[in-house]
Amino acid sequence: MNRSKATPYVFLAPAVILFLLFTAYPIVASIVLSFQKFEGGSYVFTGFDNYIRLIHDSIFQTALVNTFIIFILQVPFMLLLSMILANVLNSQLLRLKGFFRVSFFLPAVTSLVAYSLLFSVLLQDNGLINELITNFGMSAIPWLTDGTWAKISIVLAMTWRWTGYNMIIYLAALQNIPHEMYEAAKMDGAGKIRQFFSITIPSLKPVILFTGILSTIGTLQLFDEPFNLTGGGPANSTMTLGLYIYENGFEYFDFNYASAVAYVVVMLVAVLSIIQFKVTGDK
Amino acid sequence: MKKTLLYASSLVALVSLSACGGSGSNGTSDDQTLTAWAWNINIPVLEEAAAQFAEDHPDFDLEIIEVGTPDVYQRITTGLQANGEGLPDIMLVEDDRVQGYLSNFKDAFLDISEYDFEEAHNDKFPAFKTELLTVDGGVYGFPFDAGPAGIFYRTDLFEEAGINADEIETWDDFIEAGHTLRDELDVALTGIDISNDDGVYRMMLNQQGTFYFDENEEVALASDESIKAMEVIQRLHQEGLNENLVGWDAWLTGLANGTVATAPTGAWLTGSLTEQAPDLEGQWGVFPLPAMEAGGNRASNLGGSNYMISAQTANPDLAYDFMEYFSTSDDVQLTAMENGLFPSLNTIYDNDLFTSPISYFGDQAIWELFASMMDDIPSVNYTGNYSIARDETETAQSDAANGADVTDVMTRAEQQLQNRMN
Repeated sequence: MNRSKATPYVFLAPAVILFLLFTAYPIVASIVLSFQKFEGGSYVFTGFDNYIRLIHDSIFQTALVNTFIIFILQVPFMLLLSMILANVLNSQLLRLKGFFRVSFFLPAVTSLVAYSLLFSVLLQDNGLINELITNFGMSAIPWLTDGTWAKISIVLAMTWRWTGYNMIIYLAALQNIPHEMYEAAKMDGAGKIRQFFSITIPSLKPVILFTGILSTIGTLQLFDEPFNLTGGGPANSTMTLGLYIYENGFEYFDFNYASAVAYVVVMLVAVLSIIQFKVTGDK
Repeated sequence: MKKTLLYASSLVALVSLSACGGSGSNGTSDDQTLTAWAWNINIPVLEEAAAQFAEDHPDFDLEIIEVGTPDVYQRITTGLQANGEGLPDIMLVEDDRVQGYLSNFKDAFLDISEYDFEEAHNDKFPAFKTELLTVDGGVYGFPFDAGPAGIFYRTDLFEEAGINADEIETWDDFIEAGHTLRDELDVALTGIDISNDDGVYRMMLNQQGTFYFDENEEVALASDESIKAMEVIQRLHQEGLNENLVGWDAWLTGLANGTVATAPTGAWLTGSLTEQAPDLEGQWGVFPLPAMEAGGNRASNLGGSNYMISAQTANPDLAYDFMEYFSTSDDVQLTAMENGLFPSLNTIYDNDLFTSPISYFGDQAIWELFASMMDDIPSVNYTGNYSIARDETETAQSDAANGADVTDVMTRAEQQLQNRMN
């Protein structure tokens, strides 16, 4: 009796122990850190000092604004693109489906550094893309060296990387929609577009929510692209919250302040996720 | 019952497995093995030194783990936060990072003044190196390579444009040469990464005997010297002489494919240049950094590194003996030079290798040129706030390069830095 009750826990144990050690403990430890300061070789409690400092920190404000600009530009654009691609690849008429699926998904499994380096080569002032467009008689674009264009470059790079990933998720969901529903709609005289809005989108609602929340979390923690492509520059115009956490911790040795910024990101993710749940109407 | 035992034991095994993930590789004290962290061209030098040292210490073994920059600093910082847990016995740290570590975690490093290192050897190294490693009478590292700065330039392009490098004495002359290059060949003079690298500006601060901070650790970003230096950067960029190459790889590519004709930087570029652009052999040369005004100081330093020993090492005596041998042995330091690093050990500067012509640089004796500058390089007070200061100057450099008034930009940078240092 006892033995059979214990069995599931034994199987769960490795995952639970790892979770406690490497996820739960750091979460608690960084809450504690965010209320402390490193003084004379030891940590002392300073209450809300780090959070008060946040409010007056112009770089933090810049990072917050940048993160949201990138989030608002990138997430809807990418999800729409993924949805369109998934529908195209789901069509009965398309040949070489496997090839297209693999091609679109490949960016998501490339090494982050490799892809950032590749984009860096493409986007230099005298890089490949500018070579191309100047040959067509347009003027060169300062992809990485102008604040606005640098943000656009990061959005493009992220879109290239994650569109295929979300597309695969949509594709799997599309294939679960019973074909009879579309046939019934056809009988009732609904066209392709009507079918898409009345059947496809409502059926995909939970999946859209899922990809939306995943992308939101991913974008709020955005780090790799600005770190590798622009280093947060020019003049902090691509500084993101993730990069600011990293810089404070590993460059300025201020782990306490970095933890405080990290907790602000946690709060933002929580709030945005709740909003998304409410908007999509899931109880 | 048996089964319960089985479950229980598997649980125990799992727990112990996941619990031993983070212990450092500090050998026991009767073990003659040391571990070291270093990167690319430093590794063959360490290997060679370990082989030589083992001749007199038969059981000695050095385990070298290759960790590149900036990853190495993340790992060192993490280890220091964890009271030295997981750090190697020996680690390589660049000049500009040393003071940050020493002002935050001085006790995590072995104080080699206990072994009288400074009394025995300080005269063999330039003052700016030994001062960097000394805090309140303690000495926390072994000077290794230095980055005496000069202008690496394409001799063939200069000749084609009709520029005589010997006549470039001031930064104004340098800018004028840039215009000639632009007009004659449509080639950029420099490839400064405006928003991420203020190295050229830092070299100009150093040559004027100042830095982000003055000797009393007061912020000095709005000093006359600093404004003058940033004005040079602004002119280079505003007058169309700078190609904004973002990142190390883009810069080296620009040097290798002829987009950019010069590189104002430290001597250590030699190793990367000969490796990455072998087909340009005989077409590069070096001349000293231009002065701010005619007759001014032309010696400056950019980069360079030092070896530090973890205070947690199980083998402090062995680690000290090996590093002392490494940093003061002529043979080891000549090996370093052959790998394209410029040693700061001055006892080797009269060696034949230094005065010999280098074919890659059109038979110019570049090592001799760099060695001749070493005595004139002013000391720099990096302070523990170096990283934040650099962040501010890079932002300022972006604004200045885009045409903002330099005095305004630097005054604002100074105020912001003071706020951030709280």
